[in-house]
Amino acid sequence: MSSFIFEQIVNGIITGSMYALVAAGMTMIFGVLRAINFAHGEYYMLGTFAAWWVMTKLMADYSIAIFAGVAIVCVIAVVIGRIVMQRLIGQPFQAGVLATLGLSLILQNVVILAFGGGYKVFNGGWIEPIEMGDFGMSQQRIVLVVVTLAVFAGLEWMVRSTRLGRSIRAVSQNIECCQVNGIDVEQVVRRTFLIGVGIAALSGILTGPINVSIYGGMGESITLKTFAVIVMGGMGNVRGTLIAGFLLGIVESLVAGYIGLQYRDSVGFIALLLMLMFRPHGLFSSKARF
Amino acid sequence: MSHFSLMQPSRSKTLVTFAALCSVLAFGEAAAQPADGLKIGIIAPMSGPNARYGAFANKGAALAAKEINDAGGLLGKKIELVSGDSQCVPAEGVAATQRMISLDKTPIIIGDVCSSVTLAMQPMVEESKVLLVNAASSNPDITYKAGVGGFKWTFRNYSTDEVRAATVLEYSVKSKGFKKFAVLSVDSDYGRGAIKFTKRYLPKYEGAEILSEDYYKDSEADFRAVLSKIRRSGAQAIVLYGQADTTPIIARQMLELGLAGKVALVGNGEFNTKDTIAAAPKVMNGAVEAAAWLPEVPTARSLKFVDDYKKAYGGEMPNNHAFTHYDTVQLIAAAARQAKSVKADDVRTALTTIKYDGAMGPVSFDDHNQAVMPMALIEIVDGKPVIKGMIATRVDYAAAGK
Repeated sequence: MSSFIFEQIVNGIITGSMYALVAAGMTMIFGVLRAINFAHGEYYMLGTFAAWWVMTKLMADYSIAIFAGVAIVCVIAVVIGRIVMQRLIGQPFQAGVLATLGLSLILQNVVILAFGGGYKVFNGGWIEPIEMGDFGMSQQRIVLVVVTLAVFAGLEWMVRSTRLGRSIRAVSQNIECCQVNGIDVEQVVRRTFLIGVGIAALSGILTGPINVSIYGGMGESITLKTFAVIVMGGMGNVRGTLIAGFLLGIVESLVAGYIGLQYRDSVGFIALLLMLMFRPHGLFSSKARF
Repeated sequence: MSHFSLMQPSRSKTLVTFAALCSVLAFGEAAAQPADGLKIGIIAPMSGPNARYGAFANKGAALAAKEINDAGGLLGKKIELVSGDSQCVPAEGVAATQRMISLDKTPIIIGDVCSSVTLAMQPMVEESKVLLVNAASSNPDITYKAGVGGFKWTFRNYSTDEVRAATVLEYSVKSKGFKKFAVLSVDSDYGRGAIKFTKRYLPKYEGAEILSEDYYKDSEADFRAVLSKIRRSGAQAIVLYGQADTTPIIARQMLELGLAGKVALVGNGEFNTKDTIAAAPKVMNGAVEAAAWLPEVPTARSLKFVDDYKKAYGGEMPNNHAFTHYDTVQLIAAAARQAKSVKADDVRTALTTIKYDGAMGPVSFDDHNQAVMPMALIEIVDGKPVIKGMIATRVDYAAAGK
């Protein structure tokens, strides 16, 4: 039975990797803008669609589609960053909620209009199973976990050691001070948004082969779960997000394995409620960062 | 924080308001029944995870309406289809039906695909005296509650899951020799209803048992945790009454976990389509399904439908819902011709006595307004669906009540 627990923990880490990747961007954007990006799951969806489009229409290989998909979504992010996101600086939080909810509706429906509302099959990826002891999993899942760890290591390094990373931290702490000191806040917001969206798109493309079917509304449930992850991790806390993502994934897998699949989605929402009631500043900091 | 919890309702509310506004603008003035036409409403999911069903349903119905209109119409009247989006969500389906009844004034409605929506529509059409002919929901309760069971305005031209569950179980146990089952079905009135009746018939077979029971949300994409559990439980077959779009996901993840060839899928969820089988042929081989229709049905009318449909829609292969909606429009036309009237009440009376010659075989209605019609039992062999038999069973309401 203990190997069953181990297997479910592995399953949870894989699911959690996807949550963590999407949440990383959302939490960074919250850090610089103090705005919850309700459209974040849509970039995950756009990434999957972009890669699917590159593969089915341009007949490209999956490995090329990973880069092409991220690139396409980044172009969209540059436009949205300029037109919408940078204008949210200094605005009340209602503006952010309305703007991102609106974006989410627009992006979903544009995709449904362009490609139809039905499911598409995402063919491709490295789906051959590898036997690991007494259970198997596809190479794609291992790729997903490895990429997640690499992305978070990269983010950690960027936030600590690069000028952009230091600017992001500075903007997170005090926008007025940054403006006085000559940091281009708008540029920092645009770049943070671009990085966050790029990572969400990458997450979508990497999970595409595992989840097989894609459709315009697939981002919505991801946004909701991601929200639970960033609250657990502490809003704006990148490292906390990774651990919280794994944690949610593991608990979900154990619930699905031992209690029943129908109770799985409740885990995130119960966690969210408990966190907001008892530790609204997250699991890993003793006081609120914002 | 309240914005978070309000997010989904506020979204759908905006959509509903917008849709209502559009229909008022577009149809408000032309709401009255045209003198030379007959309006038939189609309620089906046109957006959301089940949008595919709605697209097929509307295309199938449109093909039938075109055939009838090209041949001079129905008793001299042109059939005009009106479409409403249910999103497979009961609240949305009820709103769409309400709009259809009060704005478009459709005397006859075909709908919905999703059982949960159909169950919610039943009391509404009853109150408005609008004829509801369902063409694709399989939850047994729909007709348990119709005819002598209560709702006089609901008919179902589709097989119930009671017949389906009983037949699939019998074939699985007797022909395939399965005894240990794991349930993995969609968390809806369809999925849960089919399992309820599977459990009712299970004690008939000695030693047959259900080892685990799980239900998934219709947008679920991660089945690894539950499939790991099923693999370790020693189940020989997964009883899957699911959504067509989810079957490839489950099949692919079963392949990944090494369940191909060891655990079979039995139930319903478009196991027989080319795309589904192509997602994981090794898993789909040996799958057993009871389907209302599939393109491989070898009757002349069915084959002609496949041809006509492909011609009309750029070579697209029709699915089960395309066919059942096509056939239901034809059934309504046949009933109207028998009644020599297109009034909903007259068509309703005609349906109770009709002997309709459907593409699958003869169709008639029992006293619960449930169609007694053939259904195909199929098994996937070497990547192709093989019809193992045709089932046309009457529901034994008295026995089920015990």
